Amino acid sequence: MKLIRYQNSPLYQPADSFIGLRDEMDRLFDVAFPTFSSLQRDGGFFGDWQGEFPIDLYQDKEAYVVRAELPGFRKEDLSVEVADGILTVTGHQKTETGKKEKDANGATQERRVSRSITLPEHVSAEKIQAAYENGVLTVTLPKLEEVKPKQIAIEVK
Amino acid sequence: MSLLSKKDPQTAVQTAPRRTVIPRYDVSETADAFTITAWLPGVERSAIETTVDGEVLTVSGRRAWAVPESWTPVYREIPQADFRLALGLDHRVNREAIGAAYSQGVLTLTVPKAEAVKPRRIEIKG
Repeated sequence: MKLIRYQNSPLYQPADSFIGLRDEMDRLFDVAFPTFSSLQRDGGFFGDWQGEFPIDLYQDKEAYVVRAELPGFRKEDLSVEVADGILTVTGHQKTETGKKEKDANGATQERRVSRSITLPEHVSAEKIQAAYENGVLTVTLPKLEEVKPKQIAIEVK
Repeated sequence: MSLLSKKDPQTAVQTAPRRTVIPRYDVSETADAFTITAWLPGVERSAIETTVDGEVLTVSGRRAWAVPESWTPVYREIPQADFRLALGLDHRVNREAIGAAYSQGVLTLTVPKAEAVKPRRIEIKG
């Protein structure tokens, strides 16, 4: 018997249980009507994202790649963090002090968006790279070398 | 059948037009200009085309990025359509002096107001 960690999708948002429920429903439909779900889940025409900004996840032999559409940020306003196997991408656009930019309602403009993704288990957290171009953030997560079985010597007293 | 065979080879082969979506955009107004901000993430500066044809301002942006062959999509949310935004212009704008700037997926168009609609103070003579 094999134990597999319960994970319905490579992406999940622990903070939003309602979205979790939606995922459950989607999963139920995936099983019942596989044709529909594949149409719905491939990014589609208009895109149907569940967070504050859309993301894509790809993999090749070497790495996983996350692309996130985050237009209008400066490089220093974006942060990519990995903790406990969860990748968190945050964009925080602050108003430049001294410039006092105000919108039509007189409020200072501030934008904060964030999304968390559960990483596939075999990712080398230290070698993660991120690049930002044309409003798209690309995070490359190299896969770990295959975990080799370790021989543990038993001391006999 | 005869109709088909008579077709001009130039028009016989028609590629389906690429589908487009309206980008997220915003219009704001100051005393002497309108500012249009459109989100075109993933579009190269050179792939953006802004045209003014009569009363219509059109912005189109083509997503040139393609998934490398060795990559397998695991999960996709990013729409794959190109962007197209058409906005009507009326007598209040100065069509000749539209300015555009692009930075990190955001296109900012500055559309100056026509002199005729700017607030004017009329002096009383005599």
